[in-house]
Amino acid sequence: MKRAFGVLAALVLLGGVAFALLRPTSHDDKKTTKTVTITGLIGSEKQDFFQDEDVKAELAAQGLIVKTLPVGSWQMVDKLDGQAFAFPASQAPADKIRQNKGITEVVSAPFYSPLVVVAHQATAQALKDSGMAAEDPTTHVWTLRMDAYRDALRTNKTWEQLLGGKPKAELRGNVLMATTDPKDSSSGAMYLALLSSLENGGPVSSDAEVEKVKDLLYTAISKQGEKKQSTDLLFKDFTSGVGRPLSLVYESEAAELVRQQNTLGDMVVLYPDTTIFSAHTLVGLNEDGRKLATLLQNNTKLREAATKHGFRIQGDTKAFGTQFRTQDDSFHLAPNLDQAGINHASIPVYDVLKKLTDYATKP
Amino acid sequence: MMVKHRGGARGLAAALAALAALVAACTSSPAPKPDPTAPPAPTAQAGVLRVLAGSELQDMAPILEQAQKETGVTVQFSWTGSLDGAEAVSGNAADGKYDALWFPSNQYLRLDERSRPKLLSESPVMTSPLAIGIRSSVLGELSWGDGSAVTWGNLAEAAAAGKLNYGMADPSRSNSGFSGLVGVASALSAANSALTDEDVAKATPQLKQFFAGQKLTSGSSGWLTQAYTQAEQGSVGALVNYESVLLTMNKTLPPEQRLTVVRPTDGVVTANYPLTLLSSAQPREQESFRRLTEYLLKEDVQKRISEQTLRHPVAAGVAPAAGVPTDRRRELPFPGSLAVATHLLASYQNELRRPSRTVYVLDTSGSMAGQRLAQLKSAMGRLTGAEDSRGVRRFRDREEVTLISFASKVKSTKTHTVPAGAAAQQELASINADVQALSAEGGTAVYSSLEEAYRVIERQQAAAKDDRFTSIVVMTDGLSNEGVSDQDFKTFRAGLSPALRSVRVFPILFGDAAKTQLQGIADLTGGKLFDGTGSLDGAFEEIRGYQ
Repeated sequence: MKRAFGVLAALVLLGGVAFALLRPTSHDDKKTTKTVTITGLIGSEKQDFFQDEDVKAELAAQGLIVKTLPVGSWQMVDKLDGQAFAFPASQAPADKIRQNKGITEVVSAPFYSPLVVVAHQATAQALKDSGMAAEDPTTHVWTLRMDAYRDALRTNKTWEQLLGGKPKAELRGNVLMATTDPKDSSSGAMYLALLSSLENGGPVSSDAEVEKVKDLLYTAISKQGEKKQSTDLLFKDFTSGVGRPLSLVYESEAAELVRQQNTLGDMVVLYPDTTIFSAHTLVGLNEDGRKLATLLQNNTKLREAATKHGFRIQGDTKAFGTQFRTQDDSFHLAPNLDQAGINHASIPVYDVLKKLTDYATKP
Repeated sequence: MMVKHRGGARGLAAALAALAALVAACTSSPAPKPDPTAPPAPTAQAGVLRVLAGSELQDMAPILEQAQKETGVTVQFSWTGSLDGAEAVSGNAADGKYDALWFPSNQYLRLDERSRPKLLSESPVMTSPLAIGIRSSVLGELSWGDGSAVTWGNLAEAAAAGKLNYGMADPSRSNSGFSGLVGVASALSAANSALTDEDVAKATPQLKQFFAGQKLTSGSSGWLTQAYTQAEQGSVGALVNYESVLLTMNKTLPPEQRLTVVRPTDGVVTANYPLTLLSSAQPREQESFRRLTEYLLKEDVQKRISEQTLRHPVAAGVAPAAGVPTDRRRELPFPGSLAVATHLLASYQNELRRPSRTVYVLDTSGSMAGQRLAQLKSAMGRLTGAEDSRGVRRFRDREEVTLISFASKVKSTKTHTVPAGAAAQQELASINADVQALSAEGGTAVYSSLEEAYRVIERQQAAAKDDRFTSIVVMTDGLSNEGVSDQDFKTFRAGLSPALRSVRVFPILFGDAAKTQLQGIADLTGGKLFDGTGSLDGAFEEIRGYQ
């Protein structure tokens, strides 16, 4: 008993010494940076970035200890009491937050990700065999033909039909992407933006155009049944072997596996030939939150870390390609989206997106 | 809703807690470590995450002990069924009382628009598909080889032919039961996407075939496991439950009882066990949640979770433990609306499942007079009420209900059969009228009255020549002091036909009842004792899951 107490006392002493050693340095620091701890709500796809020790160290060097909780981008809109920042996955929820909070400052959108579809090899092959997907013979980058996918949705095409009547493992039922719930999560809403743009032949803005696309959106959402709150839930289902043939997630989530050197057997990343670029947008809710926004925008170390975690940096078309070209990348991420022939659709303004979501999810 | 605190469920947990307490005492630390086996306090405590959880999560105890050491976060559980838990959340009963939820799935919970704002952050920890474990002798008789090519349609045919008898938890209470119902309904309707009311209607004949094989039901999967192992040879050959539960059972079952895990080739419904932070949790508890989820998703912890629980890890770099199957099945979509889900439950209870024959043996001796009789009338009366969208209480369409009122001897026997459709209301009112007319007088002849219950069932079965889900409830507030003895009852029961002998008795402890007598009846008949001393309403409602 005595010994235990002795050890404890020694630890307390050591702690005191460490504290004494550390304190003067922070006082002598020229910038006199006082370290503050802040909390924020983030889209689940950015968890790994904020949990990265290098990121934590750089933020701490700049005076911030940042604690985050993953929350659906649309869900976080009315749950921000006591938070220093919100970091949804796209601009529309960020705009809604600014509007609610009366924030006029320009927000920071330091990095973005295209939406991609993850699948297993057999699924990709079935799509390829039926002309719905293509694999570039030299780069091996896979693309999903979205007009063909839209037609499959319209005609209730099944995997059984695609496979000539012979179902295979999980390839059964309608050819249908699993997405997040557009009411909760940005990527689900972005799926609606994408489908509506395809159906309308360009971004939807008028009520007449909303009317034109609503049936397809309702089909795409209602057929899925109950949907997940975040892409993290969808992606973790995928990595644990749950049999949904096609899951719509962020490119960064697939790239994160490259960073972790987890090849996950036979995962294929399919880039929709028309996709959506999701601009992760940070809204600072107080001075410290705004400081974080500025850091993510301008700090070289943090920008490099973001690239490492699979995000594409605004205004830097090379970084992502450089990072993922040199690594062993069995999923064949596209270093350059333009060169891979990937287009992206524009995202409707908030009011239109809200209408699309309401139609798609009406009971 | 029903929330139970099961302190010290695990010897290891208790031992570790005791050890932790000892260490704390030795180092003369002023604040003792929170006890993971203690029930959650009404207010939040530093370093404690109060979690409302499904009892399936009990197998995480060793992992959480380690988590406590490494993160300083103690998890304190309250156990309840998934659907009861969902109702607690939507009805504001979880706000401030719990910091987080942990159920096999949030799918049912999320269907209720009132619940969604209550959830802040969800972190999936592991997955396991719903499956059916089948005894190898049964697999052999059905010529299903290793079971790897079996469909839900095959299961329905075998059940209809009387070749497949299984246990499955009540879908109105348990996530495993509801997932089984969704799975079989999706598969048998050949729905290519999320289930609709039309799909369910279309599959009704086949679904009835499938449920003809359901010989055991329960409110909790723990009892189902026990009932399976104790059931007479050949009477129950399969169990519907999570793959992980079935694989874990096999570790301790004798070879002849072991279950081959069959995941039907036309699809499964998978649980993803999301640890879920409630919006009402305070910043300090949010931080505990953050620390705990980060810990649970570490690769080495994920590996241990899979080894400990035989569920699939969610971390990409971690392989499932040995023996956990890795070939994929189609994930059947979960219904997308509460209306479809509740309609499916109502169909199951009132149309698809085998109708019940339910006999209540109710003590109306002199000691029941006054408050106790009023409580009994209230508890029974609630079972005849209309407002019960999930189907957890109300006597079901087609159910045959017999009320035996007894004191020194049986006073009255009244039988009602609830018709389907609109006429049900009238019959329910008539049952309630009989309940409200009960009066208290006389001694207590528990065993003689039970014998009479078996004789009533024998006559009912002989007259109707039907195949009903048959059980007896006996409620008493005292010691059996008249009529035959427990030994006489044992002899009587031994002389019954196998079919009658398989009828289980679910005793309810009330007032000054003799627990040993009632426990003896439950053990002898393979039933389960319920404690009505806290809430008689609750006990009568909980038993509905077993009828």
